[in-house]
Amino acid sequence: MRRYVWGVTGLVLFFTMAFSSFTVAGPGMRITIAGSTTVLPVASRSAQKFMESSSIRILVNAGGSGVGIHSVAGGRVDIGMASREVSPDESKRFEKSNLKIHPVGIDAVACAISSEVYDAGVRQLTPQEIADIYLGKIRNWKEVKGPDRQIVVVDKERHRGTRHVFMQYIFGNALQRTPGALLVTGSNNEEQAKIAQSDSAIGMLSFAWLNDDVKAVALVDRGKEILPTWEMVRQGSYPIVRKLNFITAGEPENEVKAFIDFVKGPEGQKIVEESGYIPLGSSQP
Amino acid sequence: MNAITAEKIVLAFIGCVTFLIVALLFLILGIMFLKGLPSLHGGFLFEESKDFGRAGGVFYQLAGTLILMAGAVLWSLPVALGSVLFQTEYLRAEKFKTFLTQLTYILNATPTILFGLVGYLFFGVYMDTGVSWVTGSLILAVMILPTLQVSIREAVETLPEKYREAGMALGLSRATQIWRIILPQSFYGLVTGVLLGLARAAGETAAIMFTATTFSGIQFPQSFSDPVPTLQTHILVLAQEAANPESIAQAWGAGLVLLGLVFLLTLAAWSFRTRLVMESEL
Amino acid sequence: MKADFRRGGAWFAEPLVWVFAGMNFIFLGCAVGLGIFLVVESVPVLRAEGLGFWSGENWWERFGALPMICGSLIVTGMAVFLVLPVALSGALFTSEFLPPSFRRRVKGIMELLAGVPGIIYGLLGVSFLTTGIKHAFNLLDGNTLFTAGVLLAIMILPMVLTLSEDALHSVPSEFREAAESLGLTKLQTALRVVLPQSLPGIVGAVLLGTGRAMGETVAVLLVVGSLDRVPGFNLFVSGQTIPSKLGREAAEALGSGLHWSALMGLGLTLFLLVAVLTFSGNLFFRRSRQ
Repeated sequence: MRRYVWGVTGLVLFFTMAFSSFTVAGPGMRITIAGSTTVLPVASRSAQKFMESSSIRILVNAGGSGVGIHSVAGGRVDIGMASREVSPDESKRFEKSNLKIHPVGIDAVACAISSEVYDAGVRQLTPQEIADIYLGKIRNWKEVKGPDRQIVVVDKERHRGTRHVFMQYIFGNALQRTPGALLVTGSNNEEQAKIAQSDSAIGMLSFAWLNDDVKAVALVDRGKEILPTWEMVRQGSYPIVRKLNFITAGEPENEVKAFIDFVKGPEGQKIVEESGYIPLGSSQP
Repeated sequence: MNAITAEKIVLAFIGCVTFLIVALLFLILGIMFLKGLPSLHGGFLFEESKDFGRAGGVFYQLAGTLILMAGAVLWSLPVALGSVLFQTEYLRAEKFKTFLTQLTYILNATPTILFGLVGYLFFGVYMDTGVSWVTGSLILAVMILPTLQVSIREAVETLPEKYREAGMALGLSRATQIWRIILPQSFYGLVTGVLLGLARAAGETAAIMFTATTFSGIQFPQSFSDPVPTLQTHILVLAQEAANPESIAQAWGAGLVLLGLVFLLTLAAWSFRTRLVMESEL
Repeated sequence: MKADFRRGGAWFAEPLVWVFAGMNFIFLGCAVGLGIFLVVESVPVLRAEGLGFWSGENWWERFGALPMICGSLIVTGMAVFLVLPVALSGALFTSEFLPPSFRRRVKGIMELLAGVPGIIYGLLGVSFLTTGIKHAFNLLDGNTLFTAGVLLAIMILPMVLTLSEDALHSVPSEFREAAESLGLTKLQTALRVVLPQSLPGIVGAVLLGTGRAMGETVAVLLVVGSLDRVPGFNLFVSGQTIPSKLGREAAEALGSGLHWSALMGLGLTLFLLVAVLTFSGNLFFRRSRQ
């Protein structure tokens, strides 16, 4: 019996400690943010910095651009993160929510391949070749001057910002169906992991996620080779570029406005750069 | 070969299979320990997670899991207790009783993601609790309801008749009988049920991943509408970064903590269950 | 028989009864409410797609659930197919041939492992199983229906084993003694007498394990590949099950809209499948107790 009493006392103490930070003020001092995994590092790090000098709590969650847009339109979050524009279909569906877009940075999307394929010589692809790969017409790397290996085509969930932007460039259709796909991933992290784990994969990835195992190919547009570098993005030559957006329902007010202004300001833009993206206003759109 | 040799071979075969099964499952536990232990540096249980979960500890995640578990039992226990007592002490219609038992089984076997979906709709939207630890606890409470009911029912039904007869002989009202005789005697069954329910709630990911959790920004919840970080969703996010050794190492560590929690609760439940068996055999 | 407490006068005049009845009503409401919500929320998509919801393959422009249903059935079927011989051998050996102390230990381990959370299996799957299967079968990628099937088989193994063992062990000893007196060896007794007698219980155990496998979300989500495609005979391709689809898209469609209704429709389908399995499983269990 005594052990039981001690157990219960312990639990009560634990919960008193946990809930001792319950303020009467309630959730008004809280900003919720959800959406694109590309924008997430910016939002997360900015939130940390912002919270150092403010009592506001900022919650950041992933989910993808579609989740971000849907959540902010449904009033579930204060800011929706998206690494793409709001699609025409979404604009129509969420007309009443009066979505406002606030760009906070610039990012580029690479056609990424496994480092083993890169090292074997595949350094560039034409948009047509990429299209054929995703449509299932090209199945082996040797058809594009690579090693004799079947291509592991990694696709993304339909609502993801990176996919919209990539498909828009390759096919002219943000919601293109890709029968050649072998796998479907979600976040940038998952995509990166799958491409790295394979030795013959192709996928679409934000520049900031490229690493030793996941390399970007140059794009060949009208005979000209466009290297996948920030240089090219700044010059305006690299074609797959998108703005990283904070989206609000209606005009932002009070804390939300303060936070968005913070991210758009010098400190926030430094974080954008540190996260591997391009700050606003340093390239021609 | 003769029949005896054939038999010996078959016996050896299925013996081997059994051994391999046990070995496989020990292997799984072994892997968890081997991979998880290195991550459990001194402060793992008490530090907060850093660098998107790739470093640091799991303090707030553990707290979040515990909060959801405790909340679940808080809501579930009265309902489980009340409904079982109603069915065993007051209900006479056999068909209705069987129907209710069937419902318990169906609820028990329902895929947990459905609890998340419908639970979000009912609690989060209609009752406006949003994505929060309250929603999560309520959803988990419904989910573990059958677990508690089964244990409580077992305890109440195996109570020897002589206790009830004694109560009747003493002229006690039914309420008094329940309060003073049935409940105290089935105490161990109750505790078993609660511990098993806690273990089940601790491991649940699908029902809470979009209804109660957040990945960053919250330490302890500060209101009823705050989501919480949890061990389960922490592991899920890290598991999706399978190529990053830091993330995976952290995932193993968190997984070991979660496994430890579930095992602790299950073993505790068993120790109470043996006491229940001993009591009812008096 | 149970002692009857009626002491004259209405039993429902006690306030305690109303409290308990209320609790029971809440429980009833939860169980029935779950089903009702699923049905009601599915109506929009069923109205839009009709029977095409279940027979359609297209989840891109429309909402066809066939890939997910096939995926679920295949993955679950595979898991059961793999688990059945293994669990049965283990259960037979444990029940009939192991001394009591070993038997207790084996059962203890199995029951402990039956409670391991799905996310842990998911972690193991992502770390070992996908790469392992990829190399073992020389595949392009290890995230396949096959992988999910194997993972689920491992996951339900402890549960099916221990429940089957219960069924086998509960066969009364008279049967074994009679067989022995007829000159049957232990193995012959086990196979020809005990096993047939315990069949309803074993079937029940398998059906319950199937139910669990069918409902598992996170473990499958991490290893199945998540490609909406109706699989042919090749299981070494990526696919999608109903829970993995729900897990991936629930956050996106949360709360309202046709997409949400489609997810609820998937949920309803899953619920019905599992309900049928559970119901049959319990039917077998009860028959085995007689």
